[in-house]
Amino acid sequence: MSAMKMYQAPRTLEEVMRAAGETGATIFAGGTDLMPRWSKEIVPRPAAVVDIKAIEGLSGIEVTDGEICIGACTLMSGLDESAALRRAAPILAEAASRIACPQIRNRATLGGNLCNASPAADTAVPLIALDAVVDVAAPGRAGATSREVSITDFFQGPGKTALEPGEVLTRVRFKRPAAVATWAWEKFGTRPAMEIAVASVGVIVEASDGVIERARVAYGSVAPTPLRGHGAEAALVGRRLTDETIGGCVAAARGEISPISDVRASAGYRREMVGVMLRRMLEDARGG
Amino acid sequence: MREVVEKVDLAFEVNGDSVRLAVSPDATLAEALRDDLELNGTKTGCEEGECGACSVLLDGKVVNSCLVLALECGGKSVVTIEGLAREGRLHPMQEAFVNHGAIQCGYCSPGMIMTAYALRLENASPTEAEVRRALEGNLCRCTGYRKIIDAVLSLNNGESRHD
Amino acid sequence: MIKTSGDTGTVNKRGTDQESLIGGRIPKLDAPEKAVGLTRYLDDIKLPRMLYGKILYADRPHARVVDIDTSPAAAMYGVRAVITAADIELVRFGFGSDNTALKGEKVTCIRDEIAAVAADTPEIAGEAVKRIRVTYEDLPVVATIEEALASGAPVIHEGAPNNVPFRFDYDHGDIDEGVSQSDVIVEDTFSSQRVAHCCLGTSGLIAHFGPDGRLTLHSLTQVPFLYKHDLSRIVGVPPEKIRVIQPPIGGGFGSKLDVHPFEPICVFLARATGRPVRMVFTREEEFFATPTRQPMVIQLRSGAKRDGTFTFRDVRMTLDNGGRTSWGATTPWISMRTFSSLYRVPHVRQHVDVIYTNNIYACAFRGYGNPQATFALESQIDKLAHELGMDPLDIRLKNAQEPGETTGQGMVLGTCGLADCLKTAAHNAGWDVKHSGPQKPVGKSRRVRGLGMASLFHVGGGAKIYRSDGCGTILQIDDFGGVTVQTGASEIGQGSETVIAQIVAEELGLPIENIRVVNNDSDLKPWDVGVHASRTTFIAGNSALRAARQAKGKLLVAAAEKLNREPDELDLAKGNVVDRETGEPIESIGKVLRGMHFGRKNEMIQATEFYEPPSKMPDEGHKGDISACYAFGTHVAEVEVDLDTGVVRVLGISAAHDVGRVINQLGIEGQIEGGIAQGIGYTLTEEVKVEGGRVVNPSFTDYKLVTTHEVPELKLEFIETHDPAGPHGAKGVAEAPLVPVAPAIANAVYNATGVRMTDLPLTPERVLAKLNESREAERGATDG
Ligand SMILES: Cc1cc2nc3c(=O)[nH]c(=O)nc-3n(C[C@H](O)[C@H](O)[C@H](O)COP(=O)(O)OP(=O)(O)OC[C@H]3O[C@@H](n4cnc5c(N)ncnc54)[C@H](O)[C@@H]3O)c2cc1C
Ligand code: FES
Ligand code: FES
Repeated sequence: MSAMKMYQAPRTLEEVMRAAGETGATIFAGGTDLMPRWSKEIVPRPAAVVDIKAIEGLSGIEVTDGEICIGACTLMSGLDESAALRRAAPILAEAASRIACPQIRNRATLGGNLCNASPAADTAVPLIALDAVVDVAAPGRAGATSREVSITDFFQGPGKTALEPGEVLTRVRFKRPAAVATWAWEKFGTRPAMEIAVASVGVIVEASDGVIERARVAYGSVAPTPLRGHGAEAALVGRRLTDETIGGCVAAARGEISPISDVRASAGYRREMVGVMLRRMLEDARGG
Repeated sequence: MREVVEKVDLAFEVNGDSVRLAVSPDATLAEALRDDLELNGTKTGCEEGECGACSVLLDGKVVNSCLVLALECGGKSVVTIEGLAREGRLHPMQEAFVNHGAIQCGYCSPGMIMTAYALRLENASPTEAEVRRALEGNLCRCTGYRKIIDAVLSLNNGESRHD
Repeated sequence: MIKTSGDTGTVNKRGTDQESLIGGRIPKLDAPEKAVGLTRYLDDIKLPRMLYGKILYADRPHARVVDIDTSPAAAMYGVRAVITAADIELVRFGFGSDNTALKGEKVTCIRDEIAAVAADTPEIAGEAVKRIRVTYEDLPVVATIEEALASGAPVIHEGAPNNVPFRFDYDHGDIDEGVSQSDVIVEDTFSSQRVAHCCLGTSGLIAHFGPDGRLTLHSLTQVPFLYKHDLSRIVGVPPEKIRVIQPPIGGGFGSKLDVHPFEPICVFLARATGRPVRMVFTREEEFFATPTRQPMVIQLRSGAKRDGTFTFRDVRMTLDNGGRTSWGATTPWISMRTFSSLYRVPHVRQHVDVIYTNNIYACAFRGYGNPQATFALESQIDKLAHELGMDPLDIRLKNAQEPGETTGQGMVLGTCGLADCLKTAAHNAGWDVKHSGPQKPVGKSRRVRGLGMASLFHVGGGAKIYRSDGCGTILQIDDFGGVTVQTGASEIGQGSETVIAQIVAEELGLPIENIRVVNNDSDLKPWDVGVHASRTTFIAGNSALRAARQAKGKLLVAAAEKLNREPDELDLAKGNVVDRETGEPIESIGKVLRGMHFGRKNEMIQATEFYEPPSKMPDEGHKGDISACYAFGTHVAEVEVDLDTGVVRVLGISAAHDVGRVINQLGIEGQIEGGIAQGIGYTLTEEVKVEGGRVVNPSFTDYKLVTTHEVPELKLEFIETHDPAGPHGAKGVAEAPLVPVAPAIANAVYNATGVRMTDLPLTPERVLAKLNESREAERGATDG
């Protein structure tokens, strides 16, 4: 028998880490991943939760010339509605805008989406394509210490992250993509809204004189974690976006993902959809 | 299971009234509204954020009250379906739903109306595409949505804008 | 006359410029209360000292129950009763008499109810059922029809050693003759899935015994009087001691036509505790522990002459009945009527096998076996047209039923607007322009568009499946012209209350605001068979109309006496007694009423009516004029198919329905639009997935209802055929709009891609697989 006996909403990170580290309280942000799991009894309610939304400085979007820095408690609706983010890194704003529905986007946080570590987390794919890093606050002897983890190292398996007990994800940072970069992000589902991705793909490419100089490809829902597409990237860099290049890139993508079959789709169909989305994105990028 | 635990004081504002309650730490906002405040207009159809029947405004933003802990609302303001009508007169959004046939069994209606109301707080004359997007998290099994969309659009200066 | 649904913004009420209430856009009378959140649904009702009930399900598909230990549950604080099969009298019920409230010996599907608890809070009840320890001996699971029919298959119910509890046969004409007359014959197998009603308000009940032994139920049933009768037998309370109160319900769609095991269980808990017990399902329970639409496999063979004339139709249906029987098993009775009578066809045969498996089972669901049949039939008619090189519209028009015909199954079509429906729906969809050959891709994309059509046939004037299909009305008028109509009909959100009020107000010349409809308490309301078969507007409407006519007659006689006129010189309008010729008001209705009451005669106006439709129960061969009239309609769907992903998007639906006469334009549009949305979900996204007897997607996350985004452009038209039997000429239509959606979409997919989809739902994955198959085949053909 489990019961939630304590709810607290401290104002400082130290208090959060103390609660999470010492008493084992569950960190609670928007609750949109946690609460359904409790009500459906997939996991028992924890004895204590510590709400991190009252902590100062944990939400907001800062866009400078060089870098974009987003607080962990920033809402999906905040990402969607931020004109600055739409300009600087539209790929992330777009992914956030396609999560669930307004009610969820008004509660779901960026940090929660990442810390929940679902292979289908919609913001993970663009963040991988953006080479993001996350700042993690760790309880140290003299207050909090901070460490930086690259987004690809952050995800370690379904529901598993690089966070140690008591650690808090505080910020997500990435370099502002070059103005010339083209981007695309798409998720595939059977409905236009309220869909957990069957598969998703994000792409950022920079080309000069038609030759691709830099490419980032990432996938969601087709591996135990959101995945960076090293093979697909390699198939692009140094080449022009010819049919052959696109074909090679798609083949590489199909080879480097490891989808499973479940109630939403079969492995084969997921693989197929990654190929279709990627091909269409690259064809669009070529301009046509 | 939720064993009997000590309740905690909660003070917040509901439909403009200040309210004090003792709730258990795991109670959802939906439960506090329905069970403690007898504001049964807020419905629950799934308790996992999928149907929107429990939609209310929390500090002006529409949320699923089944996914909010009651204790999170300390010091905040909540508006429910019971808070829209003034002096016994339906709010224009409620009237539009009635007159457009947007209500059949009515179970989705409070959540729909609150979500549509929230949309119009931010966007006084939404396009049809904006209305569809705003209501994408509210399920209705009876109406097929057409009359709901029409009801919301009818408030755009008395006429609908299609795009 | 054809009416178009145009602007949806205007509201007509009597007293404004519109003279007649019939055909107006009348908002539902209960809508304002619902809009402000004051309507009390079942889960909003609390009775003093009420307890909360919870059921323990077997959660295994096939097993013997060896032992049940309830003591850990009973020992919990706050638990007031724990019951198992050992504590109750096990009365068999359900269409197959193969169900009991609780199961004590054998489990035949995961949802089998094993034990139940009543406790102080829902949480305690929930924890208590988890603590009940049941020892099972698992038996081999029969997960499919094939496994059930294999030799040496485990026997699921002893009464059916071959696992085939029912077979039904129907025929008219002679198939062999039909075959010999045919120039083309086509044959296909169609399959359809389990779908859930997904009422937004979940199932539930409050049961409560009074000190006099009377049982009061707050029930969501759609059939209160049959329910009383059935439940009485199961729980051992005489029907006259049962009161059924029907609170507003969060959706019905056929889900509440049967007595479900949780209902007697809740009554047994109330009896065991002596306190009111409320049981309300979670969404998850709603998905796995309530019945679904009946899944069907339909093998269909049909033929036509070179000119398109249909010759014969040979149907074999196989039903996965699941582990117990609710109404699902009987849905082929309605399928039959579509196969035999939607179009003229001289030779028809249908054979049905109903097969036990260890899956969950099915009950009634809007359309009742008709959507499945119409999917098969209308898909195959398209194929026949293709084989014959005919336009799908022409082949349908050639064979369409006409007014005055008696169909092969003995149904007499007094009015029939099918041909008009076909032409109108096609015209509005731009059929001539858009439906031509394989469609071209949209722009440079890999998406193609196409058009498809399908028609429907359904009962429109009730369905006499019991000896009475009637409905009673008790009508009384107070001293001020306020009218209370006690109707047998039940309101399930469909708007029957408003239609009845309109009909009465119209007849009595009173504003609709003066009419109160009482329809939710079996102690007050007269008998009615229940809300099903789209019968309420027709049957309850006729009953109310006749009661109102009686009352009007009495009023006019009294007025004539008072005014020294003849009754037939007078009429009622706008709250007054008026001169029939000139329409001049003479005296207010209220004054006449008070004159009757307080004057010499001391009379009040009351009228009672029991309306029984002129339909007949079918004979043993399923033939007969089962309904007082029949509804027809046609939908044309326009779709866009993504050739790379298999995603089908419905762009538009043009629908034309023979509704007899529109009584409430707003209400009828709502029924059609809602039915279409359910139909789109049925066609494209919805499926209760069952693997090895288990439901694997029991939530809205993975059971996908359509959302606001998927509502296509709709063009609705009503074909008014003024059926002489209907109230003001109206027919019932509630179920109809869902019926033809799937084949219209599937035919449009064929038109767009040349690929014929025979299995529902048309998921992207399934469509893509078929597209790939046909590409392979084409490649093979060109290579070879
Ligand atoms: C109906 C519905 C639809 C959804 N649709 C989508 C969708 O389309 N796409 C999608 O990606 N997701 C979807 N989700 C999932 C969910 O909304 C998102 O993952 C959301 O971003 C989670 O954020 P949260 O703040 O609500 O997390 P919470 O539920 O508060 O937390 C999630 C997890 O992260 C931990 N955590 C949260 N913040 C931190 C932090 N700063 N540091 C350390 N640990 C932390 C929590 O302890 C918990 O384990 C959906 C959920 C629902 C209910
Ligand atoms: S009850 Fe909250 S979203 Fe369904
Ligand atoms: S009106 Fe019934 S669910 Fe919307």
